[in-house]
Amino acid sequence: MKKFVSLLLVLAMGLSLCSIAAAEADGKITIWTWDPTFNIAAMKVAKEMYQKDHPDVEIEIVEKLSEDIETAVIASNGDTSTLPDILLVQDNSFQKFVTNYPEVYADITGQYDLSEFAPGKVAYSTVDGKNYGIPFDAGTVTATYRTDYLEEAGYTIADLTDIDWDRFIEIGRDVKAKTGRPMLSGQAEAVDMILIMLQSCGASMFTEDGAVNFVNNEPLREVLSYYKQMVDEGIFIEVNTWDEYIGTISNQTVVGTMTGCWILSTIMSLPEQSGLWGLTNMPKLVASEGATNYSNNGGSSWAIINDKDFDLALDFMQIYRNVDFYSEILPMTSAIATYTPAKEGAAYTAGSDYFNGEPIFATIVEYGALTPSNITGAFYYDARRALATANTNYLHGGDLDSELQTAEDTVNFTMGF
Amino acid sequence: MTKPTPKKRRLSMEQKQSLAGWAFLLPATLLIVCLSFYPMFKALLTSFMRGKPTALVYSDPLWRNYQFMLKDKVFIQSITNTFTYLIIQVPIMLILAIIFASLLNNKDLKFRGLFRTCIFLPCATGLVAYSMIFRTLFTYDGMINNVLLKFGLISEAINWLNDPVYAKAVIIIGLIWRWTGYNMVFYLSAMQGIEYSIYEAARIDGANAYQQLIRITIPLLRPIILVTAVMSTNGTLQLFDESVNLTRGGPANMTITMSHYIYNTMFLNNPNFGYAAAMSFVILIMVAILAAIQMKVGDKR
Amino acid sequence: MNEGAFSKHATRFLMYLFLIIVSLISVFPLYWAFISAFNNTQQILGGAMLPSTHLIENLKNLFAQQDVFTAMKNSFATTLLQTVLALAVSSIAGYGFEIYHDKWKDRVMAVLMLAMMVPFVAVLVPLFQMFSKAKLINSWVGFFLPSIATPFLIMYFRNSARTFPKDTIEAARIDGLNEFQIFVRMFVPMMKPTYASAATITFMNAWNSYLWPKVIMQTNESTTMPMLVANLMSGYVIDYGVVMAGVTICSLPTVIIFFCLQKSFTNAVAGAVK
Repeated sequence: MKKFVSLLLVLAMGLSLCSIAAAEADGKITIWTWDPTFNIAAMKVAKEMYQKDHPDVEIEIVEKLSEDIETAVIASNGDTSTLPDILLVQDNSFQKFVTNYPEVYADITGQYDLSEFAPGKVAYSTVDGKNYGIPFDAGTVTATYRTDYLEEAGYTIADLTDIDWDRFIEIGRDVKAKTGRPMLSGQAEAVDMILIMLQSCGASMFTEDGAVNFVNNEPLREVLSYYKQMVDEGIFIEVNTWDEYIGTISNQTVVGTMTGCWILSTIMSLPEQSGLWGLTNMPKLVASEGATNYSNNGGSSWAIINDKDFDLALDFMQIYRNVDFYSEILPMTSAIATYTPAKEGAAYTAGSDYFNGEPIFATIVEYGALTPSNITGAFYYDARRALATANTNYLHGGDLDSELQTAEDTVNFTMGF
Repeated sequence: MTKPTPKKRRLSMEQKQSLAGWAFLLPATLLIVCLSFYPMFKALLTSFMRGKPTALVYSDPLWRNYQFMLKDKVFIQSITNTFTYLIIQVPIMLILAIIFASLLNNKDLKFRGLFRTCIFLPCATGLVAYSMIFRTLFTYDGMINNVLLKFGLISEAINWLNDPVYAKAVIIIGLIWRWTGYNMVFYLSAMQGIEYSIYEAARIDGANAYQQLIRITIPLLRPIILVTAVMSTNGTLQLFDESVNLTRGGPANMTITMSHYIYNTMFLNNPNFGYAAAMSFVILIMVAILAAIQMKVGDKR
Repeated sequence: MNEGAFSKHATRFLMYLFLIIVSLISVFPLYWAFISAFNNTQQILGGAMLPSTHLIENLKNLFAQQDVFTAMKNSFATTLLQTVLALAVSSIAGYGFEIYHDKWKDRVMAVLMLAMMVPFVAVLVPLFQMFSKAKLINSWVGFFLPSIATPFLIMYFRNSARTFPKDTIEAARIDGLNEFQIFVRMFVPMMKPTYASAATITFMNAWNSYLWPKVIMQTNESTTMPMLVANLMSGYVIDYGVVMAGVTICSLPTVIIFFCLQKSFTNAVAGAVK
């Protein structure tokens, strides 16, 4: 025992000699981001391209989970000294962070040309008319279906293009009867599908002036009733976890999936299903005003941090307005640009082998430009959780009016602090 | 003349020993004061404040955050959930741990080391593997349902994670699975202090295994049982991992724990430091009361 | 006579059966993680319970994506330092509270206990700000400093010290040992099982600690193993085979430490006192 302890001590002392230097930003750009096959891979390309012209600028890319970046910003509580020059922010939490930590996020209004980015995307990082974010990947919603299963039931992708939800449910019922497969799957409690449908007509969980809007939200009521109908009829199956959701696609239990276009990298990682998928736009709402076949789910934008090398960081980020950059990262990451001119790039106009030669990427950029914007605000996640609770209870037979009232009260309660 | 001297010497000896005692506990005490009490004190002040995280101001009235708690349905739900876990899980887990420890303390048992390692393994398994396998096992078409259906124990598959009662059961099963071996370790090491001859004598007197456990092992392990009971109560009231990873607090907040809700209030929702701190101190008071009761009942020195 | 022998055998059989079932249940998730390291995403999500042939591929991807060696080095360094220091600081304090206990020391102990009762998320922000001012971000010291004096370990050693016989102390004093020498030469060796179990638990807690490290360790060079495993699950596409390879590698050290140390706390030598 004594020997063991002294061995441990010697080991520990030895190891503690090789200490770790703290990151200091000085003429150097430090970037926090997550996902080595996506954001990090893209940033590495940007770094290479930038260093070609600026060989003396040092750029360090640090891998950090999205939730860890958020925790670090909250823990530093307004003090930017421990933060990097640039970090990636989930679009849905952008407004929450800028509202709470205005001193952390640099205002880039007028200093970075955002005119050619998809307007719906820029809205996520705009607070009180000021821009704080440089848009990166699109969460443009794509409806992807297995053409072989559709064919089995006598349908084609064209039958599912530019339709509304009534028609979708009709087809879904028929496909379910003929093939036994549900059309879609999704995570229970995540309410992704509901928010996708809501945004497709430009509606939100909030009103223009930031108040929570559940009870008198007609589009929301339409969405919830379609959703319940689909779940009840088995056209949409709810699973409990993300793993299970991916499983329904990889194990071929569903006909299709309808979510942010980042799901394409999952689909395209299944080589045995190559050539079996078709892509189109989503169905639109019937009763609600401003209904479109386009929406958004997920995606993120870059933020520059105050009191750092602002000019250098801003100069570096000009790479994100370069058509060639997007063409280069597309094949390796499948990260689809929100920079509209990118659709002219070689990689975008080329057809995708996986999708039978269709130029799906250019199509998605076009969808992106047509997507209505929505209001997220600082209380987005509070509202989302409350809505999830209301929806779960409604699916289990609860009364819609009282559930929406409870959810609205819950959010108003937290907003009332 | 000679009488006072030893008395004086003994006194100074005692003082010396008392001083040595203070010296021994000084480093730990200082560390805890600086690294726990100071931040706790700051959090206590925060619990009386409201506003943006970087511009907190004292609320009016000061106990506003505490007042809000009584009206917060999610917080009350989280208290109900947490106490449900506490009342069911802690006793089952500690009793199981004592049973395992006494079975494995048997010198004649073969493969003791192997059994011990197996039972300890759950708490050494990373959270990722643990939560993934538990979620996978308890899905609608998962193994648990298949096995139960095969043996005719249930007539139709249970949607474990999507039902308020069954989802709580999954969390309790997960907790027992993960922490029983952990507590067993303490009992096993404490059992080394018990003379084996006591058991032999008891056996000659005709005491069976159950009687040995109740009459010898448990009374002698009392100090350690107290430690584990206080720890498990504390751990369960601060439960976080299982709620986040197994059920995400769902369905409809029916499994969310107090710590999970505090975490959401700080890091997921619009950050509300004051309210999160106030809820934390409510947990502190609850744990302290329970610990005091356990100490009173268990600590007969 | 025969009947008695039969029931004895039956009890033994039942006991082994019980232990075997419990062991299987306990091992199952780790077994599954281990065999899943041999499988690809589709097999894992499809519920495969047997190993396939993708181990090399998964390991290759894991090492290509992540700096496993750096994370291992950091995890070992911080965990070992934390274990050794926590045992030293907390055991002497627990010993002090029990052996020299008086009214005031008991009160101090009761107050210290409060430190473990507040949820960590509540003190995270003030604690981080202190460490940031002290320039302890990204350092091993920053990692382990908050967890070397833990009320739990102090309480554990204090309650264990109750079995430490007072005559041994008196005898040692007569032999001329000072108070510190009594602790080091008499208490520490006699409490070997307690130290071993405390070391196991502390090692495990330190190895798996996650919330604090991910706040304080902010560079690629300071990543720890649990952070590395979490990084594997961050993307739009998750390669579960790689995740499980990471989980298996991450779980190994705690399993090995337990295997090595368990002899010390379960050697069932009749009576620890000699």
